Amino acid sequence: MNATTPASNEVTLEGVSKAFGPTTVLQDLDLTIGAGELVTVLGPSGCGKTTALRILAGFEKPTDGRVLVGGRELTQVPPNRRGIGMVFQAYSLFPNMTVQDNVEYGLRVRKVDREKRRRTAQDMLEMCGLGEFALRFPAQLSGGQQQRVALARALATQPEVVLLDEPLSALDAIVRVQIREEIRRLQQQLGITTMFVTHDQEEALAIADRVAVLRGGVIEQIDVPRAVYQNPATEFVARFVGSVTELGAAADYQGGRLPVRAPGGDLDTLFIRPEDLTLVPEPDGDCTVVSQIYTGERTTIRASSQERDAEGNPLELITSVSAAEAADLTPGTRVSPYVMSSPALRVTAAERHVAEREAALEAGEGGLRAAGAASVQAGAAR
Amino acid sequence: MDALKHSRWVPVAAVALYVAIPVLCSIYYAVFPGGEFSLRAYSVITEDASLAAAATRTLTITVLTVITLVVTLVPALVAVHLWAPKLRPILEILCTLPLVVPPIAIAAGVMALLGMAARQGRGSVPNAISQFLQNPDLPLILVGTYVVLCLPFTFRSIDAGLRTIPLKAMVEGSAILGSSTFGTIFRVVIPNIRGSMLFSVFFAVALCFGEYSLAATLSQQTIPVWLDDVSSNNFRASVAIAVLLNMTTWGLLLVATLSAGRFAPAGRAARAEKKLQKKTTQKALAS
Repeated sequence: MNATTPASNEVTLEGVSKAFGPTTVLQDLDLTIGAGELVTVLGPSGCGKTTALRILAGFEKPTDGRVLVGGRELTQVPPNRRGIGMVFQAYSLFPNMTVQDNVEYGLRVRKVDREKRRRTAQDMLEMCGLGEFALRFPAQLSGGQQQRVALARALATQPEVVLLDEPLSALDAIVRVQIREEIRRLQQQLGITTMFVTHDQEEALAIADRVAVLRGGVIEQIDVPRAVYQNPATEFVARFVGSVTELGAAADYQGGRLPVRAPGGDLDTLFIRPEDLTLVPEPDGDCTVVSQIYTGERTTIRASSQERDAEGNPLELITSVSAAEAADLTPGTRVSPYVMSSPALRVTAAERHVAEREAALEAGEGGLRAAGAASVQAGAAR
Repeated sequence: MDALKHSRWVPVAAVALYVAIPVLCSIYYAVFPGGEFSLRAYSVITEDASLAAAATRTLTITVLTVITLVVTLVPALVAVHLWAPKLRPILEILCTLPLVVPPIAIAAGVMALLGMAARQGRGSVPNAISQFLQNPDLPLILVGTYVVLCLPFTFRSIDAGLRTIPLKAMVEGSAILGSSTFGTIFRVVIPNIRGSMLFSVFFAVALCFGEYSLAATLSQQTIPVWLDDVSSNNFRASVAIAVLLNMTTWGLLLVATLSAGRFAPAGRAARAEKKLQKKTTQKALAS
C-alpha cells in the first residue's frame, strides 16, 4: 500500500452538465478533489449530488463537460475500466458469494492469482474488522457488517479514487458513527481521493476535508467544514447546514441586545447559529420560550416572538445552552435575544433587494402566477 | 368426519394411478416378457447401431439448444431489464408467439422454407445453407426450432427470476469492480437466478428428448423418431427404451429440484451457519 499519494489521483469534474430529457440536474459543475482528499457532497434530495457521483463512476454520461482523474480524461471510459472503487447505499454485495469471495471479486476479474487474491482479501477483511466472517454469506451479516464488507471489497483492488454514495443512510445511529470513523481512518491511512455523497449535514461536516453544498445542480459553497458552518456563503447554505435563527436588524446593528423584528423592508437579515445567540430572561422580553429539548450535553431552547413575519407566523429562535442555564429558561419565560459574536451570515437590505429582483426576473410570468395563486389560496383560507 | 378426511386423498390417488399404471405396465411389458424377468429387450442398445446414432444426435441437439437458449435469452433479458424496460412487452410477445402457433405449422413453415432454398439448385448458396442446416450429423435446423419452441416458458421463468434480484445494483457493483457486462452475467446474475436457470435447462432438455413431430417431418432420426420406427418391428425394445428415457427425464427433474434447493443462496447460507456453529461448539468442548 502506498502511503504517499502521487499527485496523479486528483479528480476533476470540469463544466459538467447533465439533463434527463427536459430536466437539468447538473449545471456547469466544476469540482476538484485533491489527491488524498475527502470531499463530501451535501445537498437535499434531488440536488444532483448522486448524479455527479454516478457521472464520476461512469454510470451516467454527462451532457456536457469532462471528467478527469489524475489528468487522464475518463468522460467516455466505461465504469469497468475506470479503476474507481465504490460503495453503494444498498451495499449491493453478491448474495451467492461468501464475504471472502465478494472481497476477492475485483481481483478475480483482474485475473490476480488465487494465493495473492486470498491474502489481499484477508488483509482487507482484517483491516475492516471482519476477519472472522470470511466464510459467511452476506445474508448472515448485519447491515453494518455488510457495509464493511462492501468497503473492503471496494478497497481490495487498491483504487486511487473511492466514491461513497450515501453509504451510511441505511444504518442505525451508533453503527453509522462507527463506520464513518472507520471510513475516515482508512481513507487517511491509504491516502485515497474520496467523494462522499450524503444528505446528512452532521455526517458531512464530521468526516470531510472539504464540504461541497449542492443545490439545484449548482455548487453553492465548497470549503472546509468549519467555514461552511461558520461563514456560509449563501442563505441556502446557512439554512441547510446546522440550525439557524433568522432575524431582521438595523443596518447599524453591531451586536448586543437585538430588538426582534422580522427580516424585510430596509432591515438586514441576520443568520445566527445557536451558539452565537443568547436568550436572557427579561420581564419585558419580546419573545417567549416554547420548548426545551434535552439532548444530554446540551439543551436546545426554542423561543417564538410576539412579532409576526409577512405571513403572520411568529419568528422562531433557536439556541443551545448547558443544563444549568436551561433551568432559567423554562417554557413560558419571557426572554430577549442577544447576539454575542458576529452572525454566521449577514445579508444587507440592498443585497436582498438585488437577489429578489433577480429571482423575480428568472421566475418571470410563472413566478407571478404562482404568487397570485398563493394569495388566492390565502384569501380562501381566511 | 374421518371418511371426509380420507376422501381428500381420492383425487390424489386417482391421478397417481392414472400416471403410474401405464408406466408400471410398460416396465412390466419391457422386463417381464412371457412372465419371466429378462433384460433381453435392452440388448437393442448394443445391437442396433442406429439407436446409438439417434442418442448421440439427440444429445448433441439438446446440448446445443440449452447453450443457445442461455447465451441468447439471458443477456437479452438482462439488457431489457437494465436499459430498455419499454421493450420488455415487445420481447414478451415475441417470445410467447411460438405458443400460439401450432408446432405442426412451424414444422410446415420450416419445411417450406428449406424446400424453397433447396430448389434454388445445386451449388447455389441457399441450397448449400439448406443442406448444411439439415445435415443428419448435426441438424442445426432442429436446434434453432427447439430454441424457439422453448422460448415461451424459459422467457417467463428467467424474467421472473430477474425481477426477484436487485439486478441494477448487482450489475453496477460488478462493473465498478472491473467486470464486463457478459462477465457480470455469468459470474453474478446467473448464479443468483439459479432456480429459473435450472427450470429453463430442464424444460429445454425435456423438450429436446421428447419432441417428435418436427423431427419426424424433417426426417431427422432423433430418439423419439427412432422409437416410432422401431416399434413397427420390435415393439418390446421400443417400449423398453421409452421406459429408460422416461426414467432419465424424471431423474433429471429430481436432480434439478434438489440442486435448486441446495445451491440457492439461502440454503447455502444456512449450511454455512450450521458448519460454523458446529465448529464453535467443538472449540468450546475442547477448551
